[in-house]
Amino acid sequence: MERRENQTPQGQIARVLVEFLEVAIASVVFLKGVYPSGAFERRRYMNVVVQRACHPQLRYYIHATISGLLPFIQKGMVERVAVIFFNANDVPLEKFVFMLGVNLSYGSTVEEVDLQFSLRSFLSKLSISESLTKKLPPDSRWEITAYFRSLPEAGTSKEANLWIPSDTKQWQQPPLITPIKSMNCEPLCLQLYLEHPCLSESLL
Amino acid sequence: MSLDSFRSSSAPNSKRTLSFSNSASSIRSNDNNSANNKRKKMKTTATNQKTLGVAWGSNSSSSSRKPPFSDFGSYMTEKNRKLHNQFNAEASTSSFSASTSGKPIFAGVSIFVDGFTVPSSQELRGYMLKYGGRFENYFSRHRVTHIICTNLPDSKVKNLRAFSAGLPVVKPTWILDSVASNRLLTWVPYQLEQLPNNQPKLSAFFSLRNSKMSEDTFTNALCQVEPDIEDSSARVGNSKDRYSSDVAKVVEPSWQITIEADDVVSENTDAIMMEEQLTSVGVKCDEEDPVGGSNDAAKDVMNFQGELKPNNEEPSTSVTSLCSNDQNVNEIASSSSTRPSKQCHSTLSDPNFVENYFKSSRLHFIGTWRNRYRKRFPIPSTGFDNEISNINASTVSGNAVVIHVDMDCFFVSVVIRNHPELLDKPVAVCHSNNSKGTAEISSANYPARSYGIRAGMFVRDAKALCPHLVIFPYNFEAYEEVADQFYSILHRCCNKVQAVSCDEAFLDVTHSKVEDPELLASSIRKEIYETTGCTASAGIAGNMLMARIATRTAKPDGQYHITPERVEDHLSQLPINALPGVGHVLQEKLKTQNVHTCGQLMMISKVSLQKDYGMKTGEMLWNYSRGIDNRLVGDFQECKSIGADVNWGVRFKDMKDCEKFLTSLCKEVSLRLQSCGMQGRTFSLKIKKKRKDADEPAKFMGCGDCENLSHSVTIPLATDNVEVLQRIVKQLFGNFYIDVKEIRGIGMHVSRLESSETSKQGAEKYNLKSWFTSGSASMEKQKHPIGNGHDKQNMDGTSVLESSALQGSSVQMDNNIQDNQASADRISTPPPLCHLDAEVIRNLPPEVFSELNEIYGGKLVDYIAKGEGISESSSSLRNSLLEQEAINKKEELLDVEPIPQKNPLTKIEAMQNEAEGGEAVPDSGSGPSFNVTRNSSFEKDDLLPSSLSQVDGSVLRELPEDLKAVIVQQLPAHRRQEICSNVALVPPNENLQVALGVKNSENPGSTHVLNESLWAGNPPKWVEKFKISSCLILKKLAEMYYKSGLTSTLSSVLYQIISEFHQLNLAHQISDDSVNITCELLKQYIKVKIGKDIEEIYICFRLLKRFAAKSHFFLQVYNGVFPYLQEAVDDNYGGSLLITR
Repeated sequence: MERRENQTPQGQIARVLVEFLEVAIASVVFLKGVYPSGAFERRRYMNVVVQRACHPQLRYYIHATISGLLPFIQKGMVERVAVIFFNANDVPLEKFVFMLGVNLSYGSTVEEVDLQFSLRSFLSKLSISESLTKKLPPDSRWEITAYFRSLPEAGTSKEANLWIPSDTKQWQQPPLITPIKSMNCEPLCLQLYLEHPCLSESLL
Repeated sequence: MSLDSFRSSSAPNSKRTLSFSNSASSIRSNDNNSANNKRKKMKTTATNQKTLGVAWGSNSSSSSRKPPFSDFGSYMTEKNRKLHNQFNAEASTSSFSASTSGKPIFAGVSIFVDGFTVPSSQELRGYMLKYGGRFENYFSRHRVTHIICTNLPDSKVKNLRAFSAGLPVVKPTWILDSVASNRLLTWVPYQLEQLPNNQPKLSAFFSLRNSKMSEDTFTNALCQVEPDIEDSSARVGNSKDRYSSDVAKVVEPSWQITIEADDVVSENTDAIMMEEQLTSVGVKCDEEDPVGGSNDAAKDVMNFQGELKPNNEEPSTSVTSLCSNDQNVNEIASSSSTRPSKQCHSTLSDPNFVENYFKSSRLHFIGTWRNRYRKRFPIPSTGFDNEISNINASTVSGNAVVIHVDMDCFFVSVVIRNHPELLDKPVAVCHSNNSKGTAEISSANYPARSYGIRAGMFVRDAKALCPHLVIFPYNFEAYEEVADQFYSILHRCCNKVQAVSCDEAFLDVTHSKVEDPELLASSIRKEIYETTGCTASAGIAGNMLMARIATRTAKPDGQYHITPERVEDHLSQLPINALPGVGHVLQEKLKTQNVHTCGQLMMISKVSLQKDYGMKTGEMLWNYSRGIDNRLVGDFQECKSIGADVNWGVRFKDMKDCEKFLTSLCKEVSLRLQSCGMQGRTFSLKIKKKRKDADEPAKFMGCGDCENLSHSVTIPLATDNVEVLQRIVKQLFGNFYIDVKEIRGIGMHVSRLESSETSKQGAEKYNLKSWFTSGSASMEKQKHPIGNGHDKQNMDGTSVLESSALQGSSVQMDNNIQDNQASADRISTPPPLCHLDAEVIRNLPPEVFSELNEIYGGKLVDYIAKGEGISESSSSLRNSLLEQEAINKKEELLDVEPIPQKNPLTKIEAMQNEAEGGEAVPDSGSGPSFNVTRNSSFEKDDLLPSSLSQVDGSVLRELPEDLKAVIVQQLPAHRRQEICSNVALVPPNENLQVALGVKNSENPGSTHVLNESLWAGNPPKWVEKFKISSCLILKKLAEMYYKSGLTSTLSSVLYQIISEFHQLNLAHQISDDSVNITCELLKQYIKVKIGKDIEEIYICFRLLKRFAAKSHFFLQVYNGVFPYLQEAVDDNYGGSLLITR
């Protein structure tokens, strides 16, 4: 069953996407400098240099979270995946938002090479985007949050039960958006942008 | 994603925001702690760390013992040393595990990978490790032997030597291919294409020496084998030296040698040079049968060999007749009047190789047949066009009837029509009858096919399948005769015939009087059989596709009708390769999708077919699998290129051979062009080069496994001249830098064809000229058919003054006309000086320029020296003349009182005003509703209209992209020149100023179009709209759209504008309208892109913000759109876009 699902273009896309997100999120975390640079090692992914977490727990967290999303991405339920950085008071300071759009009705097979080509540009763009981001205060923390289009029915699968509603604090005002990269390579549309709190709010 | 979903998800207590938290928070705190710890430790001490950065230092024991590096250089040496040690260690471990490591094919190779490569540098390093090569992390000209890269920045390409230190720059595929073939391949073919090939190759020098040497060895070999006939072997050598190997003369005394030499050859088959040397002799060797040869003589020689022993004293001609008697094919053999006298058929030995090659090529016969057909059965121009609309109607309504007539195994049945006894015997047509040969069967009759003999098979294989197969040579005269008979029958029976090939045609009988198409088909077939003695099959169906499929069923000698009801049945089981346009490649691709029949193909949606196979092919597959075919019978395609390819028997010994061959190829191509009445501008030379690792081809003298190289050049003037062709080809050939000995085939093609009648009249203005002649003919009463005069004036470089004088005196004018026409007739190939575009000439390379100058007897220099002045004055002159004529004509047409001739100046003035008035209309009209006045079309000296408003949008849309870009590019330049020349021409130009002023001022009426979608279509609608706009900035935007490579992203257009921004800034009054329309454009763009590509919008608005700081126009636009943008972003992303500059 699992195997057959993965053979559909959506399954294929979802697998590529999950793998990519894992790498990209690690790169984001590296970029933000939450951990010392020594906590990461240089690796090649899709033939570009990326950073991978060395710490097994960190690696596991990213891996498990994103792989947990796989079935939902396949079903097209995940709208956005955000990497949120908080200050010590749990107020979000910066969000890296991956906005996903998978065309569920897409029928034919996907050229993974094309997909890789587009995804690669995210990684290279990400590695030079530090200037767009804000410096984090010490003692900040981060988490991965997924925004669903609809709530997965609890009890339908055990993966769904792993997900709980988030208690992340929200901004009072709509955030400021800084796009980093967009791609639209049928059947996958992926956009990465930054969200910052509105100026008035950040003063609070 | 909708607005709602986001809004709710951003609400504080939304349940839709989920976070993965099975242990996330604990990890978080752990990680934070450890991170903090690490940070602290890093600061205090550098010992005992697991982090990478410190690990580097602690591992390097040497560095801890020695003092720190004194400078960067010593650091690098140390680093390199360590990298080498690492590499060696890895290499030794990988070589110990012998099973994984390959043989050391890269021994002595040390690569340096530069930049991003497609197998990554690490993979390449792995290969190097595994196969005994070296990998350098840092470039050093002493250690590196090859630089590997896939792409080089421009600066490195320009300064290649500085970058590569003279080392070869090779693509990574070299390594992959070498690994794949398990030996070190030469890197030469893998050189980076970006590099200009400006180094002469040594091979050119070597080849001469090589040929000498191998000739010697050949002679020596012969001497060793048969010392007592060294005399004759010397003669063989001599004859080859002279390239005229009269085989009859050489062979007779030395036929013994040939047998001996045969052994030599087979012993040294890999000594290719040797073999080439031997071709003239090798003709007689059994192993090396020259088959599929370029002349009948090949057969003669083989027969000769068979009879050699008894008849070795006979001259070869008598042998021929003897053999042919024996073989009972005397008719064919006696038809050898056209047979070339030369006995050899490689480029090496036959000086008339090219001619003979095509004389005996079946494909050439088919290819050139169409021209003969065109001449014989010219398309009836009357009546045909009228019917096209009918055809359309009928195909739509679905009751069309198309008959496809195809002769049964044409090439065989024509040859054996006079041999009734062979009718049910297996017969094939082929160049050669040698049963061991590798000539390809070109056609086989049905009895032969039942043995499994197919076209394209080697004779030896066919003979193995069917030993009593009778093989005939081609008889081209007979083919021509039968094809002509065939077509005269078809043309008699039906007035809509589309010839497909010499033996195959479509008839559209929808509107013929015949009631039953089956009856008609059978009567046609009967008549064909009675007239030609050959059978034909017919398929009847509703369109060309189905008719052709029906013929498949009908064959041989039958007919079949697929009625619309039966189409589906018929298609469902039809294998996909039966569809036209489905070849091997497409078939293979479809097979991987598990599609074998049309029925299976029918199940795939059109969209996914188009996705997989491209728009056109996908649509074709979709249509064809359903039996839909919208082609019309009689739609003929103009040929797009004319050329000649030779890929059999091409072997060169040195450059001289090759040049000789190219010369004759040019002659052939030129003849073909002339016979089609065409001239071309783009010339491409294709070369088949033997692959480095390819063996001698299975087919004797064939091309074998080759790589195809090609170069092409476009010249400004179409030509069919042999000498020009030869020069171009020589130049093209020079671009290849190829060892002539590796060439296995050469082809030359001419494209961008123009009909020679029109192109003879000169440059692109010919259309106007023809228009003019007709125009002036209609104005015979007019005393000033000035249109013809202006050529002469321009040619002499007359100034404005002179022209005004001319206008006054009609007598002088008439003289000029006479002169002009006479001189125009005299000049045949080079166009009149005035037709030359000064701009082009100025940009020609010096050598071409001097050559052209010679052709024009030195006038060219003067012409160019006058430069700008002439071009401007002449164009203005022409304009004025044209305008005058336009006015005159209009007067005549409208029967207005003519302006007195005595007053030319006022007339010009009046006319200028009027012309400008007319011009201003389309120019200022960005609204499509503006009427294009008739007189505006008279203003120009060529067919380019004054603005896009006069261009039929539908026509423009159908044009190929590049052409479109050229046309659109052309327009503004053209217009600008026009305006300034007009200014220069008329001194009292107040009126003109007014006219120009009108143009620059804004027009109302661009607002009412705001509703329609500006981004629809390709190019998007706004481009056209802006093009014709009066606002310079808008025009610039449209122009930039074409410059930006038609990518249809606004950001690329805006990027283009940066470079020309200063031009835009030259203080123009900006109207609200142009601001409004730009705002609308941006709004629509936001609407299109916001959902999927916010990055694009972000880029655009950042650019706009930059522009806004400098330009009032863009500031207005930016401010106008910004609120809308934020609203859209908020709707889609729940935030506002932060735009920084």
